Amino acid sequence: MTSARVVVMEGVGKRYPTAKGEDVDAVADVSFEVRRGETLAIVGPSGCGKSTLLRLIAGVDSPTEGTIERERSDGRFVVGYVFQESSLMQWRTVYDNIKLPLEVVKDGGSTDNVDDLIRMIGMKGFENSYPIELSGGMQRRVSLARAFVHGPSIVLMDEPFTGVDELTKEALQHELGTMIRDLGATAMLVTHDIEEAVFLSHRILIMSPRPGSIVAEVPVDLPPVRDPSMRTSIDFFATAKAVREKLLEMHVGNVRPSE
Amino acid sequence: MARSSTKVGRDLSSLTGRGLSFLSFVLGLALWEVLVDVLEIPRFLFPPPSQVFQIYFTGDIRWLDHTLVTLRSAVTGCAIGVAFGFLLAVLITVSEMLSRIVMPYVVALQVLPKVAIAPILYVMLGFTNTSRVILIVILTFFPIVINVSTGLSSVDRNLVYLLNSLGAGNVRVFYKVRLPNSLPYFFDGLRIAVSGALVGAIVAEFVSSNEGLGFLILNSQYTFNTTAAFGAFVILTILGLALYGGVVFLGRRLMPWYERV
Repeated sequence: MTSARVVVMEGVGKRYPTAKGEDVDAVADVSFEVRRGETLAIVGPSGCGKSTLLRLIAGVDSPTEGTIERERSDGRFVVGYVFQESSLMQWRTVYDNIKLPLEVVKDGGSTDNVDDLIRMIGMKGFENSYPIELSGGMQRRVSLARAFVHGPSIVLMDEPFTGVDELTKEALQHELGTMIRDLGATAMLVTHDIEEAVFLSHRILIMSPRPGSIVAEVPVDLPPVRDPSMRTSIDFFATAKAVREKLLEMHVGNVRPSE
Repeated sequence: MARSSTKVGRDLSSLTGRGLSFLSFVLGLALWEVLVDVLEIPRFLFPPPSQVFQIYFTGDIRWLDHTLVTLRSAVTGCAIGVAFGFLLAVLITVSEMLSRIVMPYVVALQVLPKVAIAPILYVMLGFTNTSRVILIVILTFFPIVINVSTGLSSVDRNLVYLLNSLGAGNVRVFYKVRLPNSLPYFFDGLRIAVSGALVGAIVAEFVSSNEGLGFLILNSQYTFNTTAAFGAFVILTILGLALYGGVVFLGRRLMPWYERV
């Protein structure tokens, strides 16, 4: 792993005005970096400003305090986005949904990438299907492929498997991990699911709510190639336990390891 | 296996369901035919189906001409109303300010029973074909404005974030997300609009016309020719079904991706 940094956040804060007229700090004084080739996870309770961090990195929102540096490899910084829902365009086929980023980003890459990704997510033969014709798991796979097709500088994942049943979720997490590794992608995952964070990431940052800020870092010392059998290993449990303890130290109470 | 057998079961039950509807319709007509005689209802007041059927072949009424007059103004008015409605929906979605300015009028006119203004329209614009078309435009305009503006604004926020994060501005978000998202809403509005167009055409002809199916119905009131009015009802029903069915058919053709309820 090189130490080149894809994103560097320095003292970042985001303040939103509310309807009552008082301003609310969604996140405050957040500093961290994402290194090239790593998967960084941010774990924290719901509503602690995790999604705000992703929007700030994506440039969809701008910070009210601090600075965000983005590394421009090949002169550009482009993100891939995976949301809580699959958020596909209902009116587009599988192929056209995955192709979308290539239509928007200049020099996003060749449409060969679309075919490669369709093969990678095991959906050959479904190119011309519409989202309503697919199962929930298949829709998630399409939304994963869409996040990687344009060779993004960083893939941002916002609780990507919310509402997916446990076994499908584990299968999808494995596929996602494989995809990130095979494509050599840099990724940032925000989640409240401790096991998901441990399984997918190299480092875990713990976030506290109101205002959201980073309170601890837990390294994940697992082999780079993660396979499902690892979920029952002692190292896996130890890491999950460390994350859980850091979360409990914040006295937030309602943290569950998974849903 | 279990799944395919339930599918066959569903097809069968939907077939018998359709057969039942057809049977009910035919029996209803037969009952009507018989009851008029049995109860000795005067035939000129409440004509049996057989008598209504014959009215098309007496040669006294130019059915095709009247039908075309009504259809033409309904379709013309609907097309103009839909075009204007769509345009306004786009404008109020794009500009928050314009939306604030225009919405009070839209809401006020939306709750007003629009056929109420028909008589006054003629005072203001004269007894012309234009007045008739304008009434239909007003009737068809609102369901399109309301539905399309809802469809343009109720988009998946994540898709907007996604496009913004890739560097797309409002214009591209509009035609890549908002416009296609509004299509099902547009067709919902269009279904309401075509029904409204026929209502408008008939009311317009009630108020002022010497041709069209509305005129024919009003005229049969004066001449006690109920049979002719029933003849017009049947044609109107067929027109309504054709327009509505046409919209549904077109919607399914253009939106194979849309979940039908």
